Amino acid sequence: MSLKRVSILLRRELLQGPKKFIVIFAIVTPIVLSLIVSLIFGTLFSEKPKMGIVDEGSSQLVAMARELPSVITKEYGTVSDMKEAVESGAVDMGIVLQDDFDNSVLQGEEIEITAYIWGESLAKDRTTLGVTIVNLIRELAGQEAPVEMEAITLGDEVSIPWSDRLLPFIVLMTVFLGGLFVPAISVVNEKEKKTLEALVVTPTTIGDILVAKGLLGVILSLVMGVVILMLNQAFGAEPALLMLVLVLGAIMAAEIGLLLGVLVNKTTSLFAVVKFGGLLLYAPAFVYLFPQIPEWIGRIFPTYYAIQPIVEISLRGGGWPDIAMNVFILAGLDLVLIVAIMLALKRTKQYAV
Amino acid sequence: MNLRIIGALISKDFALFFRNRFFALVTVLGIVAYTIVYFVMPSSVDESLKIGLYAPVMPPVFEQLQEEGLEIEVVESDEALREAVTEGQYMAGVALPADIMEKLLLGQKTQITLYFASDTPEEIKDAVGVVIRELAYLQIGQPLAIEVSEEILGPDMIGMQIPPRDRLRPLFAIFIIMTETLGLATLISEEVEQRTIQALLVTPMRVKELFAAKGTIGVGLAFGQAVLFMAIVGGISSQPLIILTALLLGAVLATATAFLIASVAKDLMSVTAWSIPVLIILIIPSIGILLPGTLTGWVEVIPSYYLVDTVHQAANFGAGWGDVWRNLLVLLGFNLAIVWIGVIALRRKFR
Repeated sequence: MSLKRVSILLRRELLQGPKKFIVIFAIVTPIVLSLIVSLIFGTLFSEKPKMGIVDEGSSQLVAMARELPSVITKEYGTVSDMKEAVESGAVDMGIVLQDDFDNSVLQGEEIEITAYIWGESLAKDRTTLGVTIVNLIRELAGQEAPVEMEAITLGDEVSIPWSDRLLPFIVLMTVFLGGLFVPAISVVNEKEKKTLEALVVTPTTIGDILVAKGLLGVILSLVMGVVILMLNQAFGAEPALLMLVLVLGAIMAAEIGLLLGVLVNKTTSLFAVVKFGGLLLYAPAFVYLFPQIPEWIGRIFPTYYAIQPIVEISLRGGGWPDIAMNVFILAGLDLVLIVAIMLALKRTKQYAV
Repeated sequence: MNLRIIGALISKDFALFFRNRFFALVTVLGIVAYTIVYFVMPSSVDESLKIGLYAPVMPPVFEQLQEEGLEIEVVESDEALREAVTEGQYMAGVALPADIMEKLLLGQKTQITLYFASDTPEEIKDAVGVVIRELAYLQIGQPLAIEVSEEILGPDMIGMQIPPRDRLRPLFAIFIIMTETLGLATLISEEVEQRTIQALLVTPMRVKELFAAKGTIGVGLAFGQAVLFMAIVGGISSQPLIILTALLLGAVLATATAFLIASVAKDLMSVTAWSIPVLIILIIPSIGILLPGTLTGWVEVIPSYYLVDTVHQAANFGAGWGDVWRNLLVLLGFNLAIVWIGVIALRRKFR
């Protein structure tokens, strides 16, 4: 293998890559998915009931409502805007606070409140919002609660937010989309266009070509892995260790991509294999998505050994002792895959290694 | 128009479609995967806040409480309450002290213990605290001069909420229909690139028959799969004729979109590159069904809105022709426009 030839090929791949759809796809998809997940699971899938307020004066109640952890408060300029929001389900309940509302409350005058309720809002949300509004008015009136409450937490199960549960899936997809797809499609494309044959009749060996294509996959996978972890603020306290795992994971992705590239001859067949094989690649993410699934099931799949250390470091604050065994297994799998690629090349008798 | 020629073209395209392993697999796996996800999702909505209560002395307000959305169950001991909360039987447990009534009557503050499972979200903890505090206010009879007039906007769904999986139905139906855009666009673009279209056009077949055949295969595949999926998940048990009409118009939309994509794409990769942004745009309206209130009026400029909204209204609310005819008319209008543009663009490419 010639390092000079590999670097020339890699430079060509790096220059040509950004013009290819699949490279853009591998860069854009994880970022878009990550943003969508944080948007949907960060706020939209929250179980908090949503309350809309139109304040015709300048009531303190609005600021008090905004401070509440159990309710999402949205302010509207006009009653018709709020009614529209209620009708569409943007808020569960909307109330109108009349001018001089606070003075009326403080002087004990009778207050009239119109509440618009979304027909599809849940009964428990209606109750919570109703009681919350009354509680806020009592607070505004200076009434003192007749009880004190002590909250005791039972059991040791921790509530894992959906955005955290989905992070392993996004990271796996990021690392494997670019790392696997780009080298695989690149090899298959060259086979289809017969340019691979043209290359190997020069002093360039098939090994040089595969290493160059694999390196592009590793670089893309690594860069995107880092970007996604940074976007999700999940870099953890051990960045060097995390980088080591990301590099090993990226190598695994590129090796699987090269193996597919060697074994498959047509782009359509590659899509079919990846579509089905994707289930196996992303299977360990389901263990994190649904904590009820026993963790040993995840160990059956090779990608588990890449994602477990990443989750351990970035989400659970783990260190080397917690991931050492899996990192060694990951490195071992990387070596096994190199052998598998060489065997596949020999077996398919396409080109001399 | 020669029906025999069209029939021959349809059977050829059908065979070609399923010979392409990618599309054959995507077609079958898509329906299977969506069906599995549908049946795995919850089939009902838990509307109430379930609270366990241990009260050595029961304050009358707790006994008289009949609030919709609040279920209070009495348990026999503090130990049983803790156990039930830990097992997830209740969202929260409330333990009242034995001297609660005496202290409330004397105007003294009393301490109430709330139990929560460790995975209870903070908002639920806070909401339960607010409810219990209000009950205590009611118990001591502290007045609050407030009159609330309520107005329900839209159909009142209390007790008959739409389960999340039924909200997903229009999303899956549009996924299935729109994925066919990829298949048909690839079939056409490959034929154009391989010049088999030109070869066909020197036979007695005319361009009209070619479009009729391609259109029929596109509409047939998209419509057939969507109907199969909706039938499996019970999506056409309410207002079947409206839903079938909407799905048929949706299938025409997918076919017209495929014509447009095929006119600019060259192979599978470029079809995929063009299709993904188009699919994302067409899927956006179904997000509004899944997460109500997330989209504003601008969504109505997307043609698939009228498909998704019709399926949602008919399948989940039993909407009739009178409620959805405008949607169907607008969708038909969009279809005519896109089919026309697609046919013109493809005709140019054939030349």
